[in-house]
Parts: sequence; structure tokens; C-alpha cells
Amino acid sequence: MQIKPQLVRDLIALLGPKAVLSEPEDLMLYEYDGSVELGSPECVVFPSSAREVSEIVRLANRYEVPLLGRGAGTGLSGGAIARDGGIVVAFSRMNRILEIDAANLRAVVQPGVVNLDLSRAVDHLGLYFAPDPSSQKACTIGGNVSENSGGPHTLAYGVTTNHVTGLELVLPDGEIVRTGGKNLETSGYDLNGLFVGSEGTLALVTEITVRLTRKAEAVKTLLAVYDTIDDTTESVFEITVRAITPAACEMLDGFTLRAVEDYVHAGFPKDCAAVLLIEVEGLSEAVEAQAAAITEVCKLHRAREVRVARDDRERALLWKGRKEAFGALGRISPMYYVQDGVIPRTRLPETLRRIAEIAAKYDLQIGNIFHAGDGNLHPLILFDERDRAQFERVVAAGGEIMRHCVDVGGALTGEHGIGMEKNELMSLIFSPDDLALMARVRASFNPAGRLNPGKVLPLGKGCGEIRIPHIPASAATPA
Amino acid sequence: MSHPAHISFARLEEIVGAPHVLTSPEDLALRRVDGFLPSAVIQPADAAQIAEVLRFAGAEKLAVIPSGGCTKLGIGSPPARYDIALDLSRMNRVLAYDPQDLTLGVESGMRIEQLLRVLAEQKQFLPLVVPYLERATIGGIVASNSSSPLRHAYGGVRDFCLGMEFVTGEGSQAKSGGRVVKNVTGYDLHKLLIGSLGTLGVITRVNFRTFPLLPAQRTFVAAFSAAEPAFQFCGAISRSPLTPQMVEIADPGAAEVIFSGGGPPQAEPRKWSVLVSAAGLPEVVDRYARELGHMAAAANADELEPLGDSEGPVVLARIREFPRLILEAVPSAAIFRIGVLPTAMPGLLGELSSVATRGGVDLISLTRASGIVYAALLPKEGEAATVPLLSKAVQEVFRVCGKSEINASAMLEWCPPEVKLAAGGVWGPPRPDFGLMKRVKDSFDPNGVLCPGRFAGGI
Ligand SMILES: Cc1cc2nc3c(=O)[nH]c(=O)nc-3n(C[C@H](O)[C@H](O)[C@H](O)COP(=O)(O)OP(=O)(O)OC[C@H]3O[C@@H](n4cnc5c(N)ncnc54)[C@H](O)[C@@H]3O)c2cc1C
Repeated sequence: MQIKPQLVRDLIALLGPKAVLSEPEDLMLYEYDGSVELGSPECVVFPSSAREVSEIVRLANRYEVPLLGRGAGTGLSGGAIARDGGIVVAFSRMNRILEIDAANLRAVVQPGVVNLDLSRAVDHLGLYFAPDPSSQKACTIGGNVSENSGGPHTLAYGVTTNHVTGLELVLPDGEIVRTGGKNLETSGYDLNGLFVGSEGTLALVTEITVRLTRKAEAVKTLLAVYDTIDDTTESVFEITVRAITPAACEMLDGFTLRAVEDYVHAGFPKDCAAVLLIEVEGLSEAVEAQAAAITEVCKLHRAREVRVARDDRERALLWKGRKEAFGALGRISPMYYVQDGVIPRTRLPETLRRIAEIAAKYDLQIGNIFHAGDGNLHPLILFDERDRAQFERVVAAGGEIMRHCVDVGGALTGEHGIGMEKNELMSLIFSPDDLALMARVRASFNPAGRLNPGKVLPLGKGCGEIRIPHIPASAATPA
Repeated sequence: MSHPAHISFARLEEIVGAPHVLTSPEDLALRRVDGFLPSAVIQPADAAQIAEVLRFAGAEKLAVIPSGGCTKLGIGSPPARYDIALDLSRMNRVLAYDPQDLTLGVESGMRIEQLLRVLAEQKQFLPLVVPYLERATIGGIVASNSSSPLRHAYGGVRDFCLGMEFVTGEGSQAKSGGRVVKNVTGYDLHKLLIGSLGTLGVITRVNFRTFPLLPAQRTFVAAFSAAEPAFQFCGAISRSPLTPQMVEIADPGAAEVIFSGGGPPQAEPRKWSVLVSAAGLPEVVDRYARELGHMAAAANADELEPLGDSEGPVVLARIREFPRLILEAVPSAAIFRIGVLPTAMPGLLGELSSVATRGGVDLISLTRASGIVYAALLPKEGEAATVPLLSKAVQEVFRVCGKSEINASAMLEWCPPEVKLAAGGVWGPPRPDFGLMKRVKDSFDPNGVLCPGRFAGGI
């Protein structure tokens, strides 16, 4: 136990007894996030202002204990796991939308605002917040900023960093600072660009100014149904090559969509090899033409059927199928391990063949449901955590898929972050000099390494391995 | 300026080869920065040579300023020191272009015009339609975060730059990001280099996503008798489902600059013009014509006119080259780049205009509707005391930008060195995030080898 009772008393004095948890049974909820990682904090605090956050940080420094931020805990790389114990700063009470400036397409929010709640709050103005992770009903904008999250529609609209113009931060020394603002650009270094996606290792985010996007006039959602995976991936390839930019282009393989269909009843044909869920948006004239061009490509690649959602209800149902797919798989497997590699889009056909080979080699079930349009894979490896030998095969298979992504010129993570899951793999992509510079930048903000320790950068112990997490038999199923 | 006698040219020649160490007066003069001349121009062949040069410079306490086409060396504060000009023009190749994947990796010394030609062969482009197009290099464009009118539709460099390789001030070769269109692996350090004016690292390679050329393009011009209806028109566009490629608001002076090379004859001169470009399928462009027409009429514009096939490109080129056209006509002009919210634009332009009137200078402005104002302060013809007048006006511009109802972020991009000094700098008032910027600078270039003194707060 690093935390002294006096620190807990100081925190209670600062925040009040209702805003501090330190009993083991209360802390259990905060031991995991959406990943397969686990770690126990010693104290969870619920600040309601940047000033309180700053005081918490100062206390952590005085008592020399680690601390880290937490949004909804849906992160998939262990970002919100208290790896070295310490204090979890949970942002659930800082969940107010502070300003909506429709004329300038901006909103100012606290970090605990749930992603979808912002879009709902501006819906009547014909606006929305473009980054739409599949977890958007639960995940927070603070979490999105930390992970630089994407989503199905970020293919056309860009990821979180493209939609943030200003931040208020509490630095690891307790200082409260602002970067950027509401303006499109500020002179000086692009500090927003550094902090967005820094996975909570450089500062705690206490306020965010985001861009809002105007809803398109027309939307068409297509479902292309295939009898082979190759035809599916080649359609994606061809859409890219023909430079058609759909708003979204998602793929679900047959295994996954059968699980989804049983759960959501979205109308996915259960006997096919894969489907593409493609959306086009824009002016009605452009949407018609794009939908026609996409249909042509899919047919050319032997799509068995290209179905266009007839109304909003059908459209919503198809998307429900996509967005709840992880949950659906959670129903059929005790645990799953989601990967997040990225490849050049044109390497999709060979990559899915490779994943199938790897699944066969390690005797594992791997589902594929992912952002095909930008080459962001999400192989989902199913396993039973009681079977330790199987789990070791899972980790080995995951590593092979990662290496393939790197070999074809891709990246380790497209949106879920490095966290504590892939930090030892960073050396596959980055040289010691690259990593030394990143470490130096981190140290310039977080010199004692007290903020979210053990994340993003390799600890130097492993060499290019995915971490084999410690999974106790009682671990809950993330959904 | 002064010639540090201790520079070991022999060592530099060893690193890059004797033919690539230039010391002729012309070569030095081309890399002049605010009146400062380097002692030598070094032309490295690759990142490894750059690293060696920077390590050497660090050991010898020399200051290095990277340069490409030398079109934007005037941007920033005057350097505190300047010994070596690092000329990247030998590093001018496309390193990886996968048109099928719409991704590209290019050396920083490549000229944008040449690159755009390579892309056009594949019916693709980069939305970097920037001033000094025929000379500007990728490195210079990225390091100065040059603004393009296409920003309206495609965003700025940060939105389509996928990754970078660079050499830090300490001479360490590093990279961040990657080559794929979506990537959150590691810190986005390359974003820091965008707009860093060479103060953090020497950019050697930039990876971009490319964009398909769109089938049809047309630019429409609406003329207005005053600023207010022009901004009303822009507001209507922003509330509509239209997503134009470009929306630029030219005040009467800017309209004269832009149209003097062609364009619709203006019935009456002194008009505000809004230029809107649409691209896409013919039926889409027709729809723009109809709806822009209605919106312009509702804002009391004179008729909305499309630019003809021959005049369109000429006008677009003049919008692109706006700062350069001003500087060529009036070399002593002071040109601000100001980030501001759309609703504050009319107020800002009003304030700027009174600053100009009060200060006895002329004002010309070109505004990107998405949130950037280019405002040029020009000495009146025949005015002798230009430096004090301009400097005073420059300070006033910074002051009005700071007003709470305007809340604009101004940087004085182009101006004579004497004005930079007399006005007390080009970066405006001290900023709350200076401490953060300093930490970044110290991480990349702890010994102050790269462009010392040029950045905000004397970084
Ligand atoms: C079913 C499911 C689907 C998903 N789909 C997607 C998807 O499509 N795209 C995608 O990108 N991600 C997806 N995710 C991943 C996850 O939802 C995102 O990473 C999300 O942004 C995390 O938000 P959160 O609020 O849950 O953050 P948490 O998990 O609580 O935290 C994530 C990280 O942010 C840090 N953090 C949180 N708040 C702050 C703050 N205020 N200041 C500083 N640091 C902070 C934490 O320390 C941690 O490092 C999915 C997850 C699940 C479970």
C-alpha cells in the first residue's frame, strides 16, 4: 500500500467524503477497462473542477504516489488501468456541456461528457460531433481526446484530433494551462496536436473545445453481401483505387455477423462470408451518384446482393448491428482480445488471408469486424481465460498479426492506443532515437513519471512482445 | 552577420562534400534572414548528413537555419544568431507514392509545383495551393504551415499529414506518425513541427494522404456594397448543406489585386467580393450555381457570376499568391495572418479598418471564411516615415485582436525587419502556453542550434 491514510484524509478534506473511494470493494469497479488488463488503484476521486484536479495532482506529488485519469473505462489498451496503483481521477462528475456556439460550429465541454450526449445536445441545430467510436454511448470526450479515437465515420471526417481546437489541461505539476482556443488556428507550436492522443501521460484534460459538424443533407446506407472474403476485401481495394470516399466503409465477416444477427436482428444474411456496410453522405445529387458507383464496384466483385436501407429505421438497425457487434461476440465467448492494427488499404485482401492462416495455425477463432475503408483492422480473438495454454496462443497469434501489419508498412494501432498492451511493441515501428525523443517530451511534462506510469513507451524490459496480461479467473467480460 | 572566424569549413566539407559548401556572396545573400547573412550554405544529401552538421553546429555553438525555396525565410522574429544555412534542395525526391492507396512520402526539399505535377498524372493532388507555388518546397510549406484557400474543404497541413522524419536540434534522426491514413501509434510529434519555422527539427521527409482531383470545378463571384452583407452571404453558405472547396472574402482593395489579372469587370470598383469554388459532378456544380444565386440575392449581392474557364485559374492563382502580390507591389507591407471565429470577422475587420485610418496607413484584407484573415497594412503612397507609422499600427492590430469580443490570434507573417524591431515583435503579446512551448523546444533542441530567437517568446 503506497497510499497513506493521511493522503485519503487530505483528499476527503479537499473533495468531501462522497467524492473519494478507498474501500477495496468500492475500488473493484475501477480495476479494469475495456481491455484484458487489470490493476488495482488504491483510491478513486471524483473532482468537479479543474481547480480540484490541480489540488489532487499536488497532493499526489506531495505524497509521491502515481495517478491517472479515467473517463468511462471503455479503453481497449489498458490506458485507464492503475498499473502501479495510486489514485484514479475519475471525470464522471465533470460532465457538463459548457457552451454551444452553433454559428461558429464549436462546443466547449468538460471531459466527462459522453460522446453521444454531445451529438444529441446539438442534434436540433442540425449539428453533431463527428468522431463516433462504436462505444459512443458510453465513452467520454476526455477519453476520446486522450486516445485520439476514431470511429466508422472518421474515414471521411477525420479522427478526434481533427475536431479539437482547444484544451484546458492540468499538468503533472498541478499547473492549469490552456492550449489553442476556439479559433481555427493559433500561432505557436500545435500543442493540441501533441496532447490529443497522448493517452493521459502528459496532462489531465479538464476542458475541451471541439468543432461541430453540420449533418449532411442526404445519407444512403448500403449493405453489400458476399460469398467470399476475397471478393469483399477486393471491393474495398477497388473503392479506394477509384477514389470514391464513402463516409464509412465497415466490414463484418460471416462469423461475426452471425453472432450479431442472433443478438441484434439487424437483417444480416446469416449464410454469407462477409458484408460491407457502406455509407455515403452529402448533397443528394452526389449521394445518388456515389451509391451507384459503389454498387457497381461491389457487383463487379461478385457481391451476391447490394441492399440500400429504405428508411432511417433500417439504417439505424444496420448500424446497431455494427456498433453492438463487440457486445454480441461477448455473448458467445467468455473473453475476446481485440486488435487494432492498420495496413495500407490496398493490402487488405492478402492481410485477411494471413489472419485466417494465423487463426488456423494457432487453432483459434478470430472474428473480423473493422473500419475497412481506412485499413484499420479489428481482429477479435476469442478465448476462455480459464484455458491458460489457449491464452498463450492468443497472445502469440496477436503478435503475428501485428508483425504482419508492420511488415506491410502499417501501424500498431489505428485508434485504441498503445497503452500498456502494446508499449513493448513500439520498437517494431520506432528506433531507439525516436523513442528517446518521445520519452524526453514526456519527461518535459511528466518528469517524475507519476502521471499514468507504464503506458505508451516501452519500459525497456521486454523486447517486442505483446504483454501477457495477468488474468485472474474471475475477470469480467468486457463488452 | 558577423563572420565567426572559428567555423571549420573543412569539417563541413568532410560531411557533405566540398562542392556542397557554398560561400559565394550570391549564395549567402539568397539565404539572408532579416538582414542576417550566414557564413556558409550547406547542402546535405540526406538525413544522416544533416544530423552530422547539427551535431557539429551544437559542439561549435553555431546557429543553423534550414531553407528550401527561400520564399518564407522572412517569417518569424529576426534570428538571435545565424551561421549556417542548411539548404535542402538536394533532397527533392518522391520516396514512396502509392496512388492506389492515396498515400505519399516525399523529401522535404521537393518543390510543391513539381510534386503536384507528379500527382496530377494520377489524377490526384494535395490541397496545398500556397504562395510562391513554383519555388516553395514541402519542408518550407510545412514548417511555416502555409495556408491554402482549399483549407475550407480539406483542412490544414495537420489534417492530411500522416507522419514525418526529421532531425532534432541535437542531431538525432527521429520520426513520428507513419504512412497509413489512420494511426495513433506513439506521440504525434510531427504535429509540433508543422508551423515550427525550423525551430524544433529539420524536416527531411513528409508523408501525406493525397486526394482525387474532382471532375468539374467552378468558381462563383458575388459582389457586395459593404462587408456586412458579404459576411451574411458566407453565414448562409455555412448554414446550408453546401460544402464548397473555398470561400474567400476580398475587401475592395483585395478584389482589385485579385481581379487585375482577369475576372469579371466590376461595374463599380470599391466592392466587397466573395469567391466560392464548387467541385464535383456537373449536377452538383449546377446545384451550387442555383443555391449560391439565391443566397447571394437574399444578401443583396449584385448578380452572382461564375468565372469563365480561362479567367478562373488566373483568379485562383492570384488568391493563392495574395501575400506575394502585395509584397511585390509594396515591399514594405506588413501582412498579418489572424485566426478568428466567423462571427467575429466583421467586428475584426471594422477594428482593423479604424486602426488603419487612425494610423495613417492603408488596409487590404483577404479572409478565408473558415477562420483566417490576411490583413495587409500598407504605407500610403509618398509617405516618408513608414516604419514608425507601420509599427504603431502593428501594435494596435495586436491590441484590437486581444479585445474580448474579437478574441483573435494574430501573427505578423510578413513585414520589413525594421518594423519587426520597432513594433516589438511579430508574435503579439506574451502567451499563456509559452511555458509549454519552451518545454517542447528544450526537448527537441536543448542547445538552441536551430533558428534561435525566431519563434514566439524568443524561442
Ligand atoms: C465496444 C467498444 C467499441 C469501441 N469502439 C471504438 C471505436 O470505434 N473507435 C475507437 O477509437 N475506440 C473504440 N473503443 C475504445 C474506447 O471506447 C475509446 O478509446 C474511448 O475514447 C475511451 O473513452 P473512455 O471515456 O472510456 O476512456 P477511458 O477508457 O476511461 O480512458 C482512456 C484513456 O484516457 C485517459 N483519460 C480519460 N479521461 C482523461 C482526462 N480527462 N484527462 C486525461 N486522461 C484521460 C485514461 O487515463 C486512459 O489512458 C471501443 C471500446 C469498446 C469497449
